[in-house]
Amino acid sequence: MQMRFHPLPPILKVENLSISYATRYGEVEAVRQVSFEVSRAMTLGLVGESGCGKTTVAFGILDFLGPNGRIVDGSIKFQGRELVGRSEKELRILRGDQITMVYQDPMQALNPSLTIGEQLAEVLMVHRNVSHTEAWRRSIEMLGQVYMPDAPNVMKRYPHQLSGGQQQRVVIAMALLNNPALLIMDEPTTALDVTVEAAVLDLIEDLKRDFDTGIIYITHNLGVVARVCDQVAVMYAGELIERAPVKELFAHPLHPYTQGLMRCVPRLGITKEESRLYPIRGRVPAPKDRPWGACIFAPRCDYATEQCRNERPMLREIAPGHSARCFYAGEIDPSAWQPSEELDLPVAELRAAAGHEAVLEIENLKTYYEQPSRSVFSLFGLGKKQYVKAVDGVSLRVPRGITVGVVGESGCGKSTLVKTIIGLESPTVGVLQFLGFDISVPVTRRDVKLIQELQMVFQNPDSTMNPAYTVGQQIARPLQRFKTVPPDHVYDEVIRLLRAVQLDPSYYDRFPSQLSGGEKQRVGIARAFASRPELVLCDEPVSALDVSVQAAVLNLLLDIQRRYGTTMLFIAHDLSVVRFFSDLVAVMYLGHIVEFGPAEAIYAPPYHPYTEALLSAVPIPDPSATQKRIRLEGNVPSALNPPTGCVFHTRCPRRSMLPDQGKVCEMETPQWRYNTDQHRILCHIPLEELRKMEPVVTSF
Amino acid sequence: MTKHPLTVTPDTSIVEVRGMMAENNIHHVPVVEKGKRLVGLITRQNLRISPIELSSLNVWEITRLLSSLKVKDVMVRGKDVITATPDTPIEEAARVLVTHRIGCLPILEEGIVVGIITESDLLTQLTNLLWAASVGLARAIRVPDRAGEFAKITAAVASKGWGIDAAGSLPAPRKPGYWDVVIKIGAAIRDELVAVLQQIEGQELIDIRAIGP
Repeated sequence: MQMRFHPLPPILKVENLSISYATRYGEVEAVRQVSFEVSRAMTLGLVGESGCGKTTVAFGILDFLGPNGRIVDGSIKFQGRELVGRSEKELRILRGDQITMVYQDPMQALNPSLTIGEQLAEVLMVHRNVSHTEAWRRSIEMLGQVYMPDAPNVMKRYPHQLSGGQQQRVVIAMALLNNPALLIMDEPTTALDVTVEAAVLDLIEDLKRDFDTGIIYITHNLGVVARVCDQVAVMYAGELIERAPVKELFAHPLHPYTQGLMRCVPRLGITKEESRLYPIRGRVPAPKDRPWGACIFAPRCDYATEQCRNERPMLREIAPGHSARCFYAGEIDPSAWQPSEELDLPVAELRAAAGHEAVLEIENLKTYYEQPSRSVFSLFGLGKKQYVKAVDGVSLRVPRGITVGVVGESGCGKSTLVKTIIGLESPTVGVLQFLGFDISVPVTRRDVKLIQELQMVFQNPDSTMNPAYTVGQQIARPLQRFKTVPPDHVYDEVIRLLRAVQLDPSYYDRFPSQLSGGEKQRVGIARAFASRPELVLCDEPVSALDVSVQAAVLNLLLDIQRRYGTTMLFIAHDLSVVRFFSDLVAVMYLGHIVEFGPAEAIYAPPYHPYTEALLSAVPIPDPSATQKRIRLEGNVPSALNPPTGCVFHTRCPRRSMLPDQGKVCEMETPQWRYNTDQHRILCHIPLEELRKMEPVVTSF
Repeated sequence: MTKHPLTVTPDTSIVEVRGMMAENNIHHVPVVEKGKRLVGLITRQNLRISPIELSSLNVWEITRLLSSLKVKDVMVRGKDVITATPDTPIEEAARVLVTHRIGCLPILEEGIVVGIITESDLLTQLTNLLWAASVGLARAIRVPDRAGEFAKITAAVASKGWGIDAAGSLPAPRKPGYWDVVIKIGAAIRDELVAVLQQIEGQELIDIRAIGP
């Protein structure tokens, strides 16, 4: 037990902070009476759905609110000095370089026209008046501290020559060069792969210890919170509604909103048959519609009473260190919660009901992209052609009415596989059959009937909707094109589809810009299902959505699937979501399927070493669960020149289990090993050995 | 050391510095200019006004004097501030504090302030070193100054199956050629401990007591 004589005061103390923006609706309060503290070597998680004011709080601390935003009330004390009410010049001196921020998208924080070294060294030369050589030396040192491989060479590269995870490391290194007392991180890992995310989160843990820095970590991912935070503050609609140490929050959430959030996230190891996701009904009110003098969550709360609608609760301490803004906090028992009747929850039927005939059959599918060669010979057409082997020999059989999940890091060929099936790319070799028809031709040469039966839900609803057409027109388009219903019934059918995705008929005349992200994705789903397709390809349909919206969209997909018996191919990088949603799961790596089988078999030993690493990287929304710590080195190798033998051998953490340090992995391509009829693993390690492994996640 | 110490600029007013020191309960503030380069040091002594000066002023003049005073008027100038680096051993830092009779050392890395070490940091370190924060039996033993004496103690303790939580030694006062060894054992039973230690020849048991918060 280490002790201190007098505990150091917190680095940052925010009290009753209120921030408002001047808009055309008048002064709109975005953040209302938020209080929290950040101490040294501590991470405070700021959690909430989008539009809850998390980032506004961070910008308030940095005085970065823009011309129309201002701090209305409250105080922000940084190292005991008040920041609110000072002039800009004073602030710059006070804050100096002691507060830094890491943003969500590393590519936007780096200057694409300067090398990494120049950008890093500049920080020290400007803020610390250090000479160029000295700044360069220290930058390399710092890159080493954020575990950047080959730091001296990275200094000479440009941002686009680094992977996403490496870019984020550069941004973090840049933030730490000044040795700040406070580091604000705004969703730093949201744009990264699970494996990279796991490495960055480990890094944050180490840095907090080594640099004695206070960290504010903004995120919507409860799994990430459970992994890196010490304290958590939950925000809802601009108010702080619960504050507690992380374990306490997950074990005993007090506020109904926090409890609701916990019910929204699929936990790893839960399937749609045994459990359900309960979305919180309604949505976050816009700042101008927020009730005054009432509990802000009352309209969506299952426990709301008259008191909640007429009086505003204060943040009060229920247990030591645990406060909540609710009249009934501590009295509500979350385990006694029952879904209200308004929630229409789909009942997932058992897989036995599904047919056995294959809707989609893929055999030895290869999709290569030709790479222009730079050799002199190629000028004369003599050069050897090079190919990016995006999909390299995939065989997959998708039975009717089943959901097949495809997981893997980015760059493993998931999206190319889907694009080939839908016809946006043509396969190089291989059999591709849909309902017995050959679909290895591009979409433009396919029969309209085939296109009708094969639809897609895209990842980003923003960029896949035409902003100039109303929602109704966009959904009506496939109906008219495929003549699903007679022309005079199109309007009724659109309304029916809107209802099916739980949108009001009034949405017919709205434009996409008037919808929230979750609503847009619902429209995208309605559009994909308009032609009543046999097979729907979902490319990361929920990864851009908030947790409560994600739960609603997943439920919606389940419901539609049950009603129409649609088959789905579901791509996602979130393994808990895939586990929840899919019947069969295919794990892809570098264009190959390395493990395929029923969802429950994938998530228990025997694992393919790659699956094991993926599972150990998933952030689990439960701070008490223990997880094996396996981190993959480096990035996915280039598909231009894939490794020989087993494609995974360059990063495989289990190679040493084989004799001779896994020499066979470099030499020979592994054969499928069948654990059961349906579950197969592509690995040289014998199944008996793989079975002996411990499960990745234990104790829940 | 304490990383990220509170710092002020030479143009900060004394009133503000006083407030900061009171609020954060600290006694020393390094003065820095752009780039966190050390230019001076403020301690509570600097903030005092001498009684002689005080008696010659009336109450309004005192207020005016205080409000016009800046950090740069009262601070210890840069070249007079004794500093250390992050690599300085803690014993060395303590020695410097004691011999110069000062209360703190700003920690510099190539002229840039990266931390501060104060008396209370050293006291904290001492308590941790002696494991004062946990309960246990503390023993003081006077041993002759020759090799192998400490090993006898550890062997005796280990023979009982206990472990030593903390240990320290200092030259015995007024008895040249002897050292006083202080050890702290968490799990020990008093009588058994005394019995086992008294069997060691040439060593003298000075003190035994239960210690802990």
